[in-house]
Amino acid sequence: MRGWISRLTLNQTLAVAAVALGALALFAAPYPGSKVTLDARELALVVGTEADHIEAPELAAWILENRADYRLIDLRTEREFAAYSIPTAVNVPMNVLTDAGLGRQEKIILYSEGGIHSAQAWMLLRAQGYKSVYMLKGGLEEWKDQVLFPAVADNPTATERARDERLKSISAFFGGQPRSAAAVAAGAAATPAMATAATPASPAVVAPPSPAGGAKPAAPKKKKEGC
Amino acid sequence: MMAPFLKYGMFGDETSLVLAFLIGIGFGFFLERAGFGSARKLVSQFYLNDLAVFKVMFTAIVTAMLGVTYLGWIGWLDLSLVYLVPTYLVPQIAGGLILGAGFVIGGYCPGTSVAATATGRVDGLIYLVGIFAGMFAFAEMFPLLKGFYLSGAGEAMTIPGAFGLPYGVVVFAVVLMAVGGFYGAGLLEKKFATPVE
Repeated sequence: MRGWISRLTLNQTLAVAAVALGALALFAAPYPGSKVTLDARELALVVGTEADHIEAPELAAWILENRADYRLIDLRTEREFAAYSIPTAVNVPMNVLTDAGLGRQEKIILYSEGGIHSAQAWMLLRAQGYKSVYMLKGGLEEWKDQVLFPAVADNPTATERARDERLKSISAFFGGQPRSAAAVAAGAAATPAMATAATPASPAVVAPPSPAGGAKPAAPKKKKEGC
Repeated sequence: MMAPFLKYGMFGDETSLVLAFLIGIGFGFFLERAGFGSARKLVSQFYLNDLAVFKVMFTAIVTAMLGVTYLGWIGWLDLSLVYLVPTYLVPQIAGGLILGAGFVIGGYCPGTSVAATATGRVDGLIYLVGIFAGMFAFAEMFPLLKGFYLSGAGEAMTIPGAFGLPYGVVVFAVVLMAVGGFYGAGLLEKKFATPVE
């Protein structure tokens, strides 16, 4: 046996090693199975570094880019989902979350009205071995504040103007309408704007610059924004 | 500590760029050292008299595959967090054919043309200019091509998933394919051996 091995060239030795490692890999289980142990330190690290959530503008950019490598899950009730939902989202209420057939390797983004339900669902999925789970920071409320009805400066500087134009076009794409920063500072919440959004037929906002090469803007869901 | 480090927040985007640069330097260095800065060497594989490209690339695949498998198995790497490029089968086959045709005609693939340019080869440089011209043309035509570009499911497809095979069986099969391929490559090289400059 030893003599046989010693007669092998380097290439042949490497080939034998590769076959042996490949054969052993037949028994390998490189993906985690159904048994999952929670790594508290790892979870704390993920939470501490804010690697567990994405922000509303980032999600908006993903939708504009037509990215298809994630699943956006709306955790609210069917009724709330029917009233308004973020484009591309699918409705998976909390009570059926673990039976929804979500892949453990999928990138899953959860959102609820605020942040509590999505944080609970996040922990639930992580405990069950879903690795790539994220929350929409601030939930639908922050989506409204930052994407649908962002605050734009009343007397913008040059830099603010560029930013505001972008905010306006993104807001228009999703069927929203920017708000005046002064009004926001004066305490007007997003809700009044939500109410007005249902009224104007064509909000006076800049048309979105055909995003990501001509993606069709999601039809503004005026009637559905009663959330 | 568990990989992938970036996704576990071990370092940020800036560090990842520095690491990407260093890995890129290493990749280019070994491409050049393997002789892949020469178009003659590269196209020899199409005449079946020097299959070094096939052997080097398949060796890299097997090495990486075994590494990933075992690191995942012992728990040092979280495979479910490794990014998989979404599969758009037909557009990607079309892209592969275009790249292959360009490889046969031009004598380089994108990475090797950069390695060739770095060693001062004019043909590599011209090829690189062509790559950027092609990228520019593609970007300008993207609105027209987008429908085709994104056609298909767009989900990351894997061989174990698509064929319903256990992960380990696929690993073993790929290793056997590689070793068999290397043996076959050796026979072909002997059969079609012609002195190459």
